[in-house]
Amino acid sequence: MSHETINLTLKIWRQPNAETEGRFEEYQLEGVSTHASFLEMLDILNDELIEQGIEPVAFDHDCREGVCGMCGMMINGQPHGPDLETTTCQLHMRRFEHNDKITIEPWRATAFPIVKDLVVDRSAFDRIITAGGYVSVNTGNAPDANAIPIPRPDQQQAMDSAACIGCGACVAACKNASAMLFTSAKVSHLSSLPHGKSERSERVLKMVAQMDDEKFGSCTNTGECEAACPAGIKLEDIARMNREYLRASLCSSGQ
Amino acid sequence: MNWLIRALSSSIGKKFVMGITGLLLCGFLITHLAGNLLLYVGAEEYNHYAHALHEQKMLLAVAEVGLFVLFLAHVVLAVVTTRENKLARKQNYDVKETKQKAPLFAYFPHDVMWTSGVIVLGFVLLHLADFRLGLRNPGPEGEEPFDKAVRLLHDPITFGGYIAGVLVLGMHLSHGFSSAFQSLGLNHPKYNKFIQCAGTAFAIIIAVGFASFPIWAVMFQ
Repeated sequence: MSHETINLTLKIWRQPNAETEGRFEEYQLEGVSTHASFLEMLDILNDELIEQGIEPVAFDHDCREGVCGMCGMMINGQPHGPDLETTTCQLHMRRFEHNDKITIEPWRATAFPIVKDLVVDRSAFDRIITAGGYVSVNTGNAPDANAIPIPRPDQQQAMDSAACIGCGACVAACKNASAMLFTSAKVSHLSSLPHGKSERSERVLKMVAQMDDEKFGSCTNTGECEAACPAGIKLEDIARMNREYLRASLCSSGQ
Repeated sequence: MNWLIRALSSSIGKKFVMGITGLLLCGFLITHLAGNLLLYVGAEEYNHYAHALHEQKMLLAVAEVGLFVLFLAHVVLAVVTTRENKLARKQNYDVKETKQKAPLFAYFPHDVMWTSGVIVLGFVLLHLADFRLGLRNPGPEGEEPFDKAVRLLHDPITFGGYIAGVLVLGMHLSHGFSSAFQSLGLNHPKYNKFIQCAGTAFAIIIAVGFASFPIWAVMFQ
């Protein structure tokens, strides 16, 4: 931390498109401010690459304030880098040392095909949401906040589950590339509130079926997803989804 | 029946069956350990128990078929899910680290469930060949169960395989026991600690309990 600027060796996965095989390339980047965010560091690298006539590194990003879930890459073997509950855009270069070597890879999962370099196609998540991650009860105009009484613990738990930003770090961290943490956060969020209760059986059955169709792996209860999640989603949500699934299978007419 | 087939072939259904069969097999381990502990009470008591058990021909046949089905389901599902899990990530990371706190001696039993399961399966087959089928060291006609157990445990392969097998089984259980509850949807802060501790204690009791028999047989018999 003695340096205000640091020099880095970046080992980055380069892949022009889904069909072409990828490979690692190494780049030297000098004089990076420790106040820069990780994505700003990549912006600086890309400026240099463009000046040298090299194709810049493609990576996903949008809000750059940790809420949209677009950014996400494996940084030295950790989704979103080494910090707890932090997205890639919230990671800063002060977290690294002078002359560090940083390996940057895309999420690797059969269900998340690589689009280019560090960009993966996460539309499998969208299809899981489309399958049942919604509430179709017409709620009309904005109701009074107290019109439907919701016990404080239920509201808090639904809010905690709703914190999921759908970035895919859980899939990236899991040794089985399982999407259980993501799907369970959505199921937990919607099924804990009165508005979502009437569709809860259909929801969990359809979302799990879609999740399985997308070729994500199974859950082995290793806890890697929970540790890697930038939004603090807990394994309790997976257990809740397991219960919801069992209840829907045995105690509802859902097929 | 569509709903049942759909439920059991889903990823959650498979883990559910995995957990149920695993816990039922844990139940078998308890009765097996309790029976074996009679070795320490005395030859007469152990023989009495063994004879009483073997006289229940119908019950024993049902129990054996039941155990076989449990075991088969557990193993088949392990093969199926492990294969699917491998296919879910065809290319591995160049670097992979974890944010989980490293436990004592970096002991992560959940990372080796497949390997420990295969080793336990090998041990169970050896164990059945030795004790149930009498394939490797058939004893004299009318040999008492106590004498048979002590004699077989003196065989170096049986001795080594037994100790290694039950220690790896303990490792398998140290993740499997508590993991089964999560798969069944039983996860709540009010009892999570208890399940974790019970799982660790169960794994240690099973591993140490069973490993004590060959050591006792060789050292004291």
